[in-house]
Amino acid sequence: MGLPVITPTTDPPPGSQTRARSPWAVARRAVVAPSTRRAGRELLFCLAGLPFAVVNPLVLFVLIVDMIWLVAGGGRGNPSPADMAIAGVCVGLLLVLLVSTTAARRLGSLQRVLAARLLGLRVAAPPSVRRRPGGRAWPGPGPRDGAGWRVVVYQLAKLPVGLIELYAVSLWIGGLVNLSYPLLWGAFRNHPPGVRLSPLPVFTPFGWFGDGTFRVATFPGTFAAAAAGAAMLLAAPWVTRAVTSVDAWLIRGLLGPGRLVQRVQDLELSRALAVDDSAALLRRLERNLHDGAQIRLATLAMNLGMAREKLGDGGEVPDAAAVRELVDAALRGAKDALGELRSLARGIHPPVLDNGLADALASLAADSAIPVELEVSIPVRPTPAIETIAYFCAAELLTNAAKHSFANKIAIRAAGHRDVLLLSVADDGTGGADPARGSGLSGLAQRVAVVDGRLTIASPPGGPTKTTVELPLRA
Amino acid sequence: MNARVVIAEDAALFRAGLTRLIEDHGHRVCAAVGDGGALLAAVAKHQPDVVVADIRMPPTHTDEGLRAALEIRSQHPRTAVLVLSQYIETRYTSRLLEGNAAGAGYLLKERVADVAEFVDALERVATGGTALDPEVVGQLLRVSRRADGVAALTARERHVLALMAEGRSNAGIASALVVTGGTVEKHVASIFDKLGLPQDEADNRRVLAVLRYLSS
Repeated sequence: MGLPVITPTTDPPPGSQTRARSPWAVARRAVVAPSTRRAGRELLFCLAGLPFAVVNPLVLFVLIVDMIWLVAGGGRGNPSPADMAIAGVCVGLLLVLLVSTTAARRLGSLQRVLAARLLGLRVAAPPSVRRRPGGRAWPGPGPRDGAGWRVVVYQLAKLPVGLIELYAVSLWIGGLVNLSYPLLWGAFRNHPPGVRLSPLPVFTPFGWFGDGTFRVATFPGTFAAAAAGAAMLLAAPWVTRAVTSVDAWLIRGLLGPGRLVQRVQDLELSRALAVDDSAALLRRLERNLHDGAQIRLATLAMNLGMAREKLGDGGEVPDAAAVRELVDAALRGAKDALGELRSLARGIHPPVLDNGLADALASLAADSAIPVELEVSIPVRPTPAIETIAYFCAAELLTNAAKHSFANKIAIRAAGHRDVLLLSVADDGTGGADPARGSGLSGLAQRVAVVDGRLTIASPPGGPTKTTVELPLRA
Repeated sequence: MNARVVIAEDAALFRAGLTRLIEDHGHRVCAAVGDGGALLAAVAKHQPDVVVADIRMPPTHTDEGLRAALEIRSQHPRTAVLVLSQYIETRYTSRLLEGNAAGAGYLLKERVADVAEFVDALERVATGGTALDPEVVGQLLRVSRRADGVAALTARERHVLALMAEGRSNAGIASALVVTGGTVEKHVASIFDKLGLPQDEADNRRVLAVLRYLSS
């Protein structure tokens, strides 16, 4: 995704990443893990996802084979290969129907909503299918809907994942049941001595209802079951987390827009930005010409016209002082118009940029009202478009710093690393730069995004401000 | 004559120069304002003979001046309007002159450099005449779909046609071409004859007829 990342935060405080976790803290975390809200939401996600695992090609196939077998053979013998072939065709047709109508997409979007609500996983919806000109027989997106087919693939993968999710749920339930055994024993098993009772099966992660595991027949034995339950409850959140993250990975990969589609969306967006940007640029240019040089030249022509009229057609000039004043005004106007045109031309393309970014940045730094410390190391020269974007970013950021930051010094660094140009402008000012507040920053971010670059702003209130622009060397 | 003028122009230097120029020629500038809203207010207050208005003014910087001019023409029919622009834009002129060319004008800003011509155009508009920029007329002639009709005219007649379209009277055309009034009348009659237009005495109706012919 080529869009700008704007994080108005500062770097993490030094040492936070290297802070050692004490064994005590790790143990505490492990103990409270089952009672965290996150564990609860993940458990809920596992439960809520179970019905979806049933809408699965394999499950459908088994169901249909059984139905045919019951209807055709009366449930005797084994299903014949013909039954299976018919069932296979039926499942295929069902899947095509599922994808062609919007059903598959609906299924996908339901599960995206679940993931968003319970796991906080935000996955964009795949783009809707565009109607092609010309008639179309399908009521939905049609059998060639890639997004629909990816939902089917997800459903296929959801079966094993769903089974593991079920297993995770059983760890929670089994753990709780085991934990309650001492209480249950006290409540229901206080029979007189000598009464023989069948032993209680203990749930373990390794077998169901006592098969291959142990049973308890005495009250002290229930504490062993409770200990097993506690161990299962401690393990349950981690198993749940592991399987939900696998599911989340699948959802991200299969229920979102495909990577290619995402790229196309990004490119469409950045193309729209580029078009808007160049249209806005031309409009600004026209406006500057209209309100600047053009009107100055018209005024200058008017002053000269009035002077010419006052000079008359020869002989004495009755009002020489007025003529002089008008010509002076015209002269001033000419100088102003020249200055205006020069700054306009420089705004379109600074000539110094032809010598490379280093020279251009040096000339920017020299013009700055706040002292600038400049450090440039660009071994490979970027393409002109990249140099221009980098230059205008630096110019805009310098202007912003001069206007708002109250900084005493600014540091500009430009460095080329392999195929990336890194430009950073840092000041020691008051910070609080916010692209949302209509400054030129959002415009810069747009310009940078057009070439798949990134603009990162770290500007906490109170300062300092550091803006980093990452650009590809070629565009 | 001594006209009462209201100026609307957002560039302060140009506004000041225009005020001086107009006052130097014996007219009175009642108000000089910088946007469309202020122009309408000033016109309502001073009821001037003529308004000189820039087309592009704040806040929208599009065609504020033109819209104000159209409103003035419908609300204050006795106030003439001379619109100044930096563009040759025949659609603006056709909107301005729609149905009635009396007391209306459209000039490029650079015309002010030729002070006498500009003041002449201003006075012509102020007294109910028409002033259309030569460049705009030239554009109309170039893009006119009636090219065959125009091609049937002699070079001299084409020149006279252009001057008519600018809104000049026969006397004005005669002095511009340095010929007698009679010669101009003969040219005009020939032009109307060749283009199949009805003869009309009033200059502003004549302008409309010519413009309508060129843009139909």
